[in-house]
Amino acid sequence: MRMEHWWYTLPLRLKSILLRRRMERELEEELQFHLEHKIEEGLAEGLSPAEARYRALRAMDGLEQRKEEMRDVRRVQWLTDFLDDLWYAMRSLRRTPGLTAFVVMTIALGIGMTATPFSMLDALVFRPYPVANPSEIMTLMSSSRDNRYDAFSFPEYMELRAHTESYHGVAASLPLSAVGFSAKADTTPVVRGGMLVSGNYFRVLGVEPQLGRGFRDDEDAVPGRDAVVVLAPGFWKREFASDPNVVGRVVRLNGAEFTVIGVAPESFPGMLIFSRPDFYVPLAMAKLFSTDPRKSFFVDRDDRELTVRARLKRGVTQAQAQHELDLLARGFEREYPKFNRDRGAVVRTQFELRTREDDVNWKFSVIFTVLALGVLLVACTNAAGLLLSRARTRTREIAVRLAMGAGRFRLIRLLLTETLVIALLGGLGGVGVGYVGIELLQRFEIPADLPVTVPFRMDLRVLTASLVLSVLCALFCGLAPALQSTRMDLSAGLKTADVDMPGRRRLWGRNALVVAQVAMSLMLLAASFLMVRGFRSSLGEGIGFSKDHLLMVKFDPRLIQYSEAQTQQFYRLLTERLRSTAGVLSTGLTQNPPLGLDDFDKLSFVPDGFEMPKDRDSFQATMDTVDASYFQTMGIGILRGRGFAESDSAEAPRVAIVNEHFARHYWPNADAVGKHFRLDGRTGPAVRIVGIAQTVKYSETFEKAMDFVYLPVAQHAVPRMVLMVKTSGDPMQLVQPVKDAVRGLDPNMPMIETRTYEDLYRYASVDGPQVAINLVGTFGAVGLLLAMAGLYGLVAYNVTRRTREIGIRMAIGANQFDVLRLMMGKGLMLVGLGTVIGLALGFAVERLLNSMLFNAGGVDVLAYLMVVPVMLLVTTFAAYVPARSATRIAPTRALRYE
Amino acid sequence: MSKPNDLVQGTLDLLLLKILALEPLHGWAISLRLRSISGDVLQVSEGSLYPALHKLEQEGWIQAEWKQTENNRRAKFYSVTRLGRKQLETETANWQRLSTAITQVVQISEA
Repeated sequence: MRMEHWWYTLPLRLKSILLRRRMERELEEELQFHLEHKIEEGLAEGLSPAEARYRALRAMDGLEQRKEEMRDVRRVQWLTDFLDDLWYAMRSLRRTPGLTAFVVMTIALGIGMTATPFSMLDALVFRPYPVANPSEIMTLMSSSRDNRYDAFSFPEYMELRAHTESYHGVAASLPLSAVGFSAKADTTPVVRGGMLVSGNYFRVLGVEPQLGRGFRDDEDAVPGRDAVVVLAPGFWKREFASDPNVVGRVVRLNGAEFTVIGVAPESFPGMLIFSRPDFYVPLAMAKLFSTDPRKSFFVDRDDRELTVRARLKRGVTQAQAQHELDLLARGFEREYPKFNRDRGAVVRTQFELRTREDDVNWKFSVIFTVLALGVLLVACTNAAGLLLSRARTRTREIAVRLAMGAGRFRLIRLLLTETLVIALLGGLGGVGVGYVGIELLQRFEIPADLPVTVPFRMDLRVLTASLVLSVLCALFCGLAPALQSTRMDLSAGLKTADVDMPGRRRLWGRNALVVAQVAMSLMLLAASFLMVRGFRSSLGEGIGFSKDHLLMVKFDPRLIQYSEAQTQQFYRLLTERLRSTAGVLSTGLTQNPPLGLDDFDKLSFVPDGFEMPKDRDSFQATMDTVDASYFQTMGIGILRGRGFAESDSAEAPRVAIVNEHFARHYWPNADAVGKHFRLDGRTGPAVRIVGIAQTVKYSETFEKAMDFVYLPVAQHAVPRMVLMVKTSGDPMQLVQPVKDAVRGLDPNMPMIETRTYEDLYRYASVDGPQVAINLVGTFGAVGLLLAMAGLYGLVAYNVTRRTREIGIRMAIGANQFDVLRLMMGKGLMLVGLGTVIGLALGFAVERLLNSMLFNAGGVDVLAYLMVVPVMLLVTTFAAYVPARSATRIAPTRALRYE
Repeated sequence: MSKPNDLVQGTLDLLLLKILALEPLHGWAISLRLRSISGDVLQVSEGSLYPALHKLEQEGWIQAEWKQTENNRRAKFYSVTRLGRKQLETETANWQRLSTAITQVVQISEA
């Protein structure tokens, strides 16, 4: 029925739009046909031709109205009107190309600068999981005093899975950052990243493999039994050339054979933002990928590594699920006080998870988006100001239209269409600007063997947002001028081109515009300046160690199935050989070099003789595992006590080196050297502190000093280590000698991420913040430029508007200085007011910045001392230039104006 | 003025569909037919005829075709579509129900 309806009507609608002229002709012809017959009928009745014609027309009750009625029934009138308006708008915009171009550019800049950070914000916060009904997916997290975003251990996960009723399945996953992969048995393994997942993972997420099958539930039931793997779509494309017969093939992961059972669909690149797993293996195979031989993944209740995701049943609220989880967590606490004391569990939505308070990335993108919206607002007020001045020059045109009976609404529509055209052109330009911005972000090179995906992209979501923004801009910029210019005194409007001489309200609006602009750009400038200074000062504090002349290579002997003894042997022999190599000053082994890309491990401990607070069992500190020569190699000073020695072997008493911050923290009035702390709670092994190392920067250059513990590699074996080699010359010259040394020990050993430490440092600690500084700086500069242009425009406009008044004043004796004061005085007063408001906003933003990023308290007076005078200077200049032109007005010409 | 206020709302549609269901006609012929069928009882302004026809066309109930008349002039002929015939059936049924009901009401009030 509906189909049939459209079958008849769709061609008519299309015809009405596309063949308007023909439709008009036919309409005319049809009515003409009728009229002629009517006239003939009249003539036949004996009327005169004029009478017959008159009667025929009367019978129609007004021919033109009928025609309009017939056009209306076409139901496309609004569209054809819009097309008319569009056409008209284009024509009238072409008449003022300079102004149009400027407004378009202003809006393009505003929107483009919003699109870039929005694409970041979207990727980090808003973009839904690439799964079916993503809003149903909850993340369950363990939560303790030290870590509100902790993961679950395997035994905990199994209990969650068995005892929750709120979900259609509870799945677990564990990212594997380095797995030795070889497509064939005899090739040297390469490092790839994968994901351990529970058997129900794909089913819970609603992800259907594009090839083969997903895991069966029984495939994660028995540890180590089912060596099966599901490939990720990108990996399948890259490594297997999209081989359709890949299912059934055998590949090697960490030396063990796995059978490919399926390929995940193109639509599912994984659940993580920054990395994409190459393959998925069942959780039951965890032992093969374990990073720490001391841990027992399937048994340890405190080996919390699993990300647990669950699909909420329809009709169950998050609060209900949370209540259920609370009960379970309390049960854990009762049953396992040793592992779960003071430990709760939280159900988090995707949004809650992505806006976690300890993550700076999304906060950065929020700040940038807000700043960008500020720029956009300035751009829009500018555009509105310019359009306002444009509307004024058309006062007479509009008055004529109104006098001829154009409806006010229709006229507003016409004017808004013009703004819409401008805004859409601006939006288009903005998409271009944003595209360039996002390209620049993506060009950001990340020095890792494992691909880190930069998720910022110009996609449909960002495009839509930009488009919506530009339409909003059109409304914002266009509505005020349109409303004002259609609300006028007609007789005055027809007489003169300038009708709003006194209009108090309108002047108030324009003044507010100036104040808002000054305030907004001052705030933006202050904010960007504060950020620049915040970063600079954090960089300026220094990192505490020497980063030059260092080569780094990562090794992971597990990739070729080394035992713990073999691993220790390899590292010992390798460092011994290198020490006797020409050009090598010293070598050091570390689990994770400072200011790198990976997180440090955490250590829980109880300091001896320290009064533990009643409500906690242990403290946590960040830790690294290093060898004896690490401190010397990195130039990290040992302030008291000694460094590690060969004598600190596996059999010797356990020792540790702590940083100065740690020592002061726990033994503020005593020497920490010689003190003990216990690992893993009150009953764990005692460790003696043998030395105090200088406090350096560990994770971020702008971090606050934090507790840090070093354990000797001989007593705390870690398979995956980074070798740091210090040289006097170019570190890259050492690549070949290192390679030779490794080959001499084992030709199969993969060398991972060979590069100079300075490369890593530059990427992780300089380039990132530099991009941020540049971005904010650009915001500030663009904001200032926009404000200048806006102010200039408004003062210039005022001068034009008051040309006659100036002429009169000069004719009766005002000198140039009087005129200058007249034109600038008001502007400067507004600038002053804007500055005060801008300062208030600036203080507010500063507090926000300090609370979110930098832990500096107080007000950065210098920032304002630099920004405010610049602002005042620039605005005075912007007001002065057009005001000066007013003093050059010849009175005779000014009086003749109009 | 523009509304056929002398006709029950919607009746004009029914009349036009009925007339066109018999044979395809152009506007002028329809107006003559309307006059002759209903006599002076139903006054249909010629002005409201064409908007009504266009509305029916836009609804998909009738379709138009330019053809030659008997005295060799081009005219727009309207004919009822399949959809229009269905509509005619429904509207006829509606009309009959309505008029029966009203007749009954009128008779009751007289008794």
